[in-house]
Amino acid sequence: MGPPADNERLVRFEAVYNRAYGQITAYAARRCDSPQDAADVVAETFTTAWRRVDELPEGEEATLWLYGVARKILANHYRGDNRRRTRRTELDAKMADLYGDSPDSKVELGAIGQVFRTLSDEDRELLSLVAWEGLDREEIATALGVSRNAVRIRLHRARRRFSRALAEAEVHFTSESRLIPTERPL
Amino acid sequence: MKNIDEIEAVKSLARVAPGGQGGDPADAEARALLAAITSEEPGTVTRIRRYAPRRLALGLTAAVALTTGAMVGLNGFGASSSWAVTKAADGTVTIQVRDFRDAAGLEKRLKDLDVPAVVDYVPWGQQCRQPRGKHVTSIPHGLYSVPENIPGEKHGWQMRIDTKRFRAGQTFVWTISAPESGQGSSSTTYLMEGPVAPCVPAPASAPGEAGAEFRNATLKGRSLEGFRVDEKTVGEVLPELRERGRKVIFLIMAVPPGNPGGFGEERTQEEPVGDDWIVWEAEENAKGVIRLLVTEERYDDNPVYGGPREAVVTE
Repeated sequence: MGPPADNERLVRFEAVYNRAYGQITAYAARRCDSPQDAADVVAETFTTAWRRVDELPEGEEATLWLYGVARKILANHYRGDNRRRTRRTELDAKMADLYGDSPDSKVELGAIGQVFRTLSDEDRELLSLVAWEGLDREEIATALGVSRNAVRIRLHRARRRFSRALAEAEVHFTSESRLIPTERPL
Repeated sequence: MKNIDEIEAVKSLARVAPGGQGGDPADAEARALLAAITSEEPGTVTRIRRYAPRRLALGLTAAVALTTGAMVGLNGFGASSSWAVTKAADGTVTIQVRDFRDAAGLEKRLKDLDVPAVVDYVPWGQQCRQPRGKHVTSIPHGLYSVPENIPGEKHGWQMRIDTKRFRAGQTFVWTISAPESGQGSSSTTYLMEGPVAPCVPAPASAPGEAGAEFRNATLKGRSLEGFRVDEKTVGEVLPELRERGRKVIFLIMAVPPGNPGGFGEERTQEEPVGDDWIVWEAEENAKGVIRLLVTEERYDDNPVYGGPREAVVTE
């Protein structure tokens, strides 16, 4: 393998890395309970992307592709059969900042958060990709590797289940009260 | 309650504000991670592709009915019609193989068309003893297509190679095989760099043989006997395997257009695939690791068997 091809790969990977790093770290931090787990997911996601650099899509789609990779790594993480493979203390510390700054503990104790956690993993992920990453259906379809129609149906059901669960828990949430009473800085 | 409200409710839970960024790629820890990752060779995932129609049906009679002999020399142009190799103006070489015995002729024709190739024919059930050389682990993107069926024909396969993407010193190494009965065929393809040792035929089941490490796990007497995984989803199969304490890896199959039977190996990974992926067979190795042969898409026919498993496995 000649040096030019290697270099081309590196340039391409670095461009994707620079563009997606902020989004992937945010993705991981929003979903992992601990900064160490989040750091792991970030590191493993980009490591996988480097191993598969020849498959890395161009442009915006690269980020969606990375979300899909991160999603699988995350699912693996929580299956509990995957010991920590990487320990990157610098990244751990940086991720901890994200956790320290947020009113996270209060949010998690909040009623909405509790209800959200009762949803299936798939329901939560779909709702999160819309609400947190701001993806539309087509982008979600690309990231998860399923059809747009499947996304539409599953998302509809996820919303309905969440809505029902909120109602059962007597959490009433309307668009007027969107700034929920946690001292979340907005 | 309107739909938008559930989304707003979820937004309120975000640890990092929606639309916001987590870390900054210019920060020291981000640079350190990038450097650590890219210090390794890219593409270390095995990307050797292999094509072996009904490869789990080795030795069974229900495999491809390949007409041997009859087609050889029929075209009258001096080339054996047991294979055909053509080169397009853009440097793409198309190889069609219908019979597998004239390995030397095929090799010469490939070399004439700038495809550095070593082709060996081995008796059915055998493979060349490995290692014969250094495998290229990072295969140039677009170098070759997964073998597919020859349009309008039932037997044989064809594949395309982009000769412009070869790097100096790389060689395509094919091992082709067909049983005496003329029914069934097997081709193994590797991309190697540097010198390639001559083929020393050895039984395909010999230890250390490439491709022989994993064997069907669901046959009689194997560890998953009685547990049918074919045509189920990954989500249906995994809980049972985990309950049995099995380590599971995934072989992502590359199925040629038209799903003529047989498949290539896109890659093997530990990272789980989606629960909605389809399992076509399970294999095991000596350490008890289970390798699921999976595709993202569902096909009408099981690509491993070229039809239902029952048509090939009768026990």
